[in-house]
Amino acid sequence: MMDRKVSDRTILDEFAENFCEIVEKYVKYIVCSGFVSIAHGRSRGTEDIDMIIERIPKEKFIQLHRDLEKKGFECMQSDNPETIYEDYLVNGDSIRYTLGGGVPPEMEVKFAKDILDEEQLKTRKKLPFTGLDIYFSSIESNIAFKEELLKSDKDMEDAKHLRIIYKGEINEEIIKKIKKDIRILRLKKNER
Amino acid sequence: MRDKTHSEQVERWANYVKNNPDWKKKLKPFLDSQIIISRRIYKKLAETEEGREKIKLLRGLKS
Repeated sequence: MMDRKVSDRTILDEFAENFCEIVEKYVKYIVCSGFVSIAHGRSRGTEDIDMIIERIPKEKFIQLHRDLEKKGFECMQSDNPETIYEDYLVNGDSIRYTLGGGVPPEMEVKFAKDILDEEQLKTRKKLPFTGLDIYFSSIESNIAFKEELLKSDKDMEDAKHLRIIYKGEINEEIIKKIKKDIRILRLKKNER
Repeated sequence: MRDKTHSEQVERWANYVKNNPDWKKKLKPFLDSQIIISRRIYKKLAETEEGREKIKLLRGLKS
């Protein structure tokens, strides 16, 4: 269990930890993108937390969805887990869960779509600096995606923030390799 | 593109977080307030039919 005072938990922390605790019972997941930076102290807001999960059979997803519903989470796309699975997840679209009524925050969930996502799941880790009991994609992976694929001002600043927090601990060779994979797999660039 | 002072502020705050274990306590009111304000707006919108329609548009809610 991570060591942190209860009073320090933000609304986002509590929402994320409660959601992840349920998901972990059914499928391997990672939390990635903006919330990784926010959990490391980036002073910016967000309404959604991004989650990638392994591709699972429909029956298993239905069990997961039912469990989330029992704990008060509501999917904004549909109440019907078969519809959610067939019309959204397997098509590569994300689904969004809130704690009812569609009010923030929300968890944006999608299936791993390629070997880049699968690699992120394989190398997932808990990051003690955050004080959160959540699996995140690696810092190297977050920096690579923000600097090579996303590239908005906000994303570049997120990457800069993470680089300062983990100064001296970041493996630049791993970042280079992920960036190369991003160029080939996501940006469809020929690297020969 | 944001200006130089913005970039400097990002760097200044990241260094504060790295070096001060109380960063979470300092940041919590800021992070929570955005969610609290957002929830307040949704609650207000939900009071009228027109507002409820706007919520659906905003959130892509199921009908």
